[in-house]
Amino acid sequence: MPESAFHQDNRRSTPLKRAPLISARNVAKRYGAVRALVDGNLEIHPGEVVALLGANGSGKSTLGKVITGMTRPDGGQLQFDGTTAPVTSPEHARRLGVSAVYQELSLVPDLTVAENVFLGNEPTRLGGLDRRLMQHRTAELLESFAGVFTVPVTPGTVVGNLPPSERQLVEVVKALSRQPRALILDEATASLDGRQVDRLFELMAGWRDQGLGLVFVSHRMDEIFRVADRAVVLRDGATVGQLQLRGGDDRRTAERKLVELMTGGGEAGALLLDEARPRAAVNRDAREPALRLRGFASGILAPLDLEVGAGELLGLGGLQGQGQSRLLLALFGAAPHRGSVELDGRRVRVASPRQAVRAGIAYVPGDRNRDGLLAVRPILENLQLPNWERYGTPLRVGAARKDAQMVASDLNVRLAGLDANVSTLSGGNAQKIVIGKWLLRRPRLLLLDDPTKGIDVEAKEEFYRLLARLQADGTTVLFTSSDDAELLGLCERVVVLHDGRVTAELTGPTLDKGSLVAASLGAR
Amino acid sequence: MRARMPRVPPPVVALLLSVLLFFVAGVLQPGFLNVDQAINIVRLAAFLGIIAAGQTLVIISGGEGIDLSVANVVTLGAILTFMVSGGASERLLPAVAVALAVGAVIGLVNGLGIVALSIPPLVMTLGMAGVVKGTILAVTQGDIPGGVPPLLAKLVTGRLLGLPGVLYLWLLLALLMWGLLERTGYGKRLFAVGVNRSTARLSGVNVPLTVVITYTLSGLLAALGGVLLLGFTQRVFLSLGDSYLFPSIAAVVVGGTVLAGGRGSYVGTMAGALVLTMAESLLRAMRIGEAYQMIVFGLILVALLAVYGRQRDSA
Amino acid sequence: MRAAPAGAARFRNLTFLVPLLVLALAVLLNYLLQPNLFQPRVLNGNLRVMLPLMVLTAGQAVVILAGGIDLSVGAVVSLVNVLLVTLVTPDSGPAEVLLGLAVGVAVGALTGAVNGVCVAYLRLQPIVTTYATSFLFSGVALAVLPRPGGALPRGLTTFYRSAPLGVPAAAYGVALLLLVWWLLRRTRFMQHVYAVGGAAAAARASGVSVSWIRFSSYVVMGVFAAFAAAMLTLSTGSGNARLGDAMTLPSIVAVVLGGTRLAGGAGGVTGAVIGVAILTVIRNLITFANVPTWYQTLVDAVIILAALAGPGLVRRLRGSR
Repeated sequence: MPESAFHQDNRRSTPLKRAPLISARNVAKRYGAVRALVDGNLEIHPGEVVALLGANGSGKSTLGKVITGMTRPDGGQLQFDGTTAPVTSPEHARRLGVSAVYQELSLVPDLTVAENVFLGNEPTRLGGLDRRLMQHRTAELLESFAGVFTVPVTPGTVVGNLPPSERQLVEVVKALSRQPRALILDEATASLDGRQVDRLFELMAGWRDQGLGLVFVSHRMDEIFRVADRAVVLRDGATVGQLQLRGGDDRRTAERKLVELMTGGGEAGALLLDEARPRAAVNRDAREPALRLRGFASGILAPLDLEVGAGELLGLGGLQGQGQSRLLLALFGAAPHRGSVELDGRRVRVASPRQAVRAGIAYVPGDRNRDGLLAVRPILENLQLPNWERYGTPLRVGAARKDAQMVASDLNVRLAGLDANVSTLSGGNAQKIVIGKWLLRRPRLLLLDDPTKGIDVEAKEEFYRLLARLQADGTTVLFTSSDDAELLGLCERVVVLHDGRVTAELTGPTLDKGSLVAASLGAR
Repeated sequence: MRARMPRVPPPVVALLLSVLLFFVAGVLQPGFLNVDQAINIVRLAAFLGIIAAGQTLVIISGGEGIDLSVANVVTLGAILTFMVSGGASERLLPAVAVALAVGAVIGLVNGLGIVALSIPPLVMTLGMAGVVKGTILAVTQGDIPGGVPPLLAKLVTGRLLGLPGVLYLWLLLALLMWGLLERTGYGKRLFAVGVNRSTARLSGVNVPLTVVITYTLSGLLAALGGVLLLGFTQRVFLSLGDSYLFPSIAAVVVGGTVLAGGRGSYVGTMAGALVLTMAESLLRAMRIGEAYQMIVFGLILVALLAVYGRQRDSA
Repeated sequence: MRAAPAGAARFRNLTFLVPLLVLALAVLLNYLLQPNLFQPRVLNGNLRVMLPLMVLTAGQAVVILAGGIDLSVGAVVSLVNVLLVTLVTPDSGPAEVLLGLAVGVAVGALTGAVNGVCVAYLRLQPIVTTYATSFLFSGVALAVLPRPGGALPRGLTTFYRSAPLGVPAAAYGVALLLLVWWLLRRTRFMQHVYAVGGAAAAARASGVSVSWIRFSSYVVMGVFAAFAAAMLTLSTGSGNARLGDAMTLPSIVAVVLGGTRLAGGAGGVTGAVIGVAILTVIRNLITFANVPTWYQTLVDAVIILAALAGPGLVRRLRGSR
């Protein structure tokens, strides 16, 4: 526990005489089996900008959601202006003076900017909407961003026609319209361009000087150092420390301290992987790489060149949403893309998942409930979903069952029977089913999007062993993970993405936590 | 997953309910309780059940799937058989082939409109219903020459071991439907498409094709229903199929096939058809007048929906 | 996030423009084929027929805008119709007439509440549920008036056929309907209806009570249906428990023809009214174009299908989905 950072901060911070605007103490929240927050603590005073930092799964977003009323906590205490107040809904939070800016969560595409800004809060005159006031106020609010809009934005513009960056700005304006005393911005800069970020920071400095309390949840080190006065770090669901940024250490030292706080310095996760270490020797001799991408771009992902050898397990690192998932999705034909894809030296077209499957590519999605499982169908149907055409007409169900049973046993899935509903399985076992459906096809390329998220330790171990076996068989694996230790322990090579670009390729001596976290944040 | 499934499968409930209603009717109207009456009711249910077969597939496919053109396709199927066969049993086979083919084409158009033009199923099939009706009028011009092939009448109404032919045909259809849903790749893919289109797509299923096939089959099966209905009524008239449209939807839902898609069976629809027909017969037996029949029918339907028809929370 | 149709920026509120164009075209064709179209008697007749369906379609539009649909509207019309002729006789004075109307509106609202509870709070699927309740309402209508009959005070029916100040009475009705819509559109309630129909999750995140809005949309539908029944009763002058049945499906078609999105969130009553006019004019066209009688239904249906398929086809050709 790097207590030095904490105490150092206490000695150097300006004594704040006013009571905190918001005080969150020992906040806990679990989603089913996953404990998103264990001991979240945060204090926000008027007239300051606090950055909330943490790696994936640290709980920073959850803490933000609790404060703004999006979720109810399971434990802990919330105080506003010194009075204890359990927040029941976002509307309640707004009435308490806390506004949140999320990523386009609350905009209706068919309505105009003014209508969206005042949605749920419309001023009325003589029983009808006071549109003039709405227009006027919205125009005033939009003025703050005058000059940085990439397309014309007026109170009458239909939100659905705006690009994501402008929609994000409308969300900011909407939060402002409530004249909040505290503003929480969760990854609000993700879709903004440089000039818009500049303007936003200017405004935030202004708001801070007017006495607002601001929380800035972000993963971008640069921005944090530009705009925040103080940084609070979360790790594994708990607040582990804070650091005074303005008037504190120099940039490099501060960054190092923050990274230390975020990573915890421990190697607990790696112990798990020692057993699973039997990695196949990666074949990177003169033969064709199993996978070659040239100029491969899709969505947030900038054109990328990549070569992966047969049997190699390549990790895609970085914080969530930097393009890793998009890469996998596009490679599977499920998202539009450009650039060339070669498997074993031959160019393949992956314009649709069906084509990808035929080319021997398999994909395990990040959200298994939404994209990977057929919730109310039996396990058998889930396992054989891509494979039914192999069993003829009428279906040789006996053969299908046998094969499915084989896969299930192979993966050590604990199930009551193949006909049991797949929703009866635990997270780990359900994930095995999602992977299992591809195993019968012996794919050449396996794309895994955060496959061990929300899975218990035992299942993870089994999964690592499976990966090792697949690698030994020559299957090439592309793998993203929200668990940095896992990534580092399993892969011999990790490509780190930040805002859609590769910021580092870590192997051998650079394959360590510090480098990974630093590269993930775009730090120097 | 918060799908709260009732512990007893809906088809079983529907079946038990039918039996219960049968006895209630017997109590209210002495003399009702006899084998002939039971057979009669099952026979009436058969037609509804056969017509609702296509509807079952469409609703399982999800995506707010529904086929509002079945009634008119039923009528068209009957009329085409009537006209093409001209009443001759030798021409029954080609007549049926024509009817089924036309039904399939109508279904195909529905499917293409829904998949290629993104027209909501409700709107597309509603529009096609009108077109089919218009086609019937234009082609027949009020005067429908033709006849009912005796072979057809015999198949449908003739008795074997005391049971009318249509029941055997219904059973045969049930077998085929079971085979389609449980023993073909299409059936497995259909359920997948109905449960979760995203998962289906990401598992390599050709979702648009599956949907188009489904609506095509719906048209074909509706036409089949019309052919058999002709054998029963032995005459054609323009509103032949009309009274089967919404009951076909109700039968599917009552039988446990969820309107959201992905779950269900034809057996359920059969039970649903049975309980609906039984409810109607009961109400008629109660001699409570058409008005009160409708009220009670509506209430029963709402009650059944409240138990089985709850939506998954979308927003 | 779903994008609004391209080019919708300035014309967001004017989704009825294309239907209006279509209507203008259709009316022009109609006039060419039927030169006496604009003569008072003919115009009056057309408007009288259209008005009840317009009012009904207006209500259906509100429900659809909120993201739902109502298949029981025809049954509600029948129900209110028979109630009106039961409560109002040819000898009734103004007080009784108003009372009858009040009861009709109350019953209409009640039917809407029943539908609303089922769909918004019990979360039953709208299509099958409102189909089921249509049986309920039809049954009650039949119980109230087993056989068609009843009559209204002579003064009322003649008024409906008259033309105060040279303008057909029904035209005032249409104007009144549009005025009501204009007022309704300006309310916070209607704004929330659009939000809920457009993106219910976003509306909820903004503090709008989604269930309440959905429920209320059905109640509003019921009230509109009651007024539609009143117009219809004025038109026919008598009662019939099956009168409204044929109005349900056309009300849905007209809403879609008028540019309202079936999934909710875009469109409006102006478009719905135009949709009804289009349907009527098309029917006129077919009659006066000397389309052989037996082909009339087919031509009508094909035109309607093409119109319904229109938006989808345009979207497809534009490449956006």
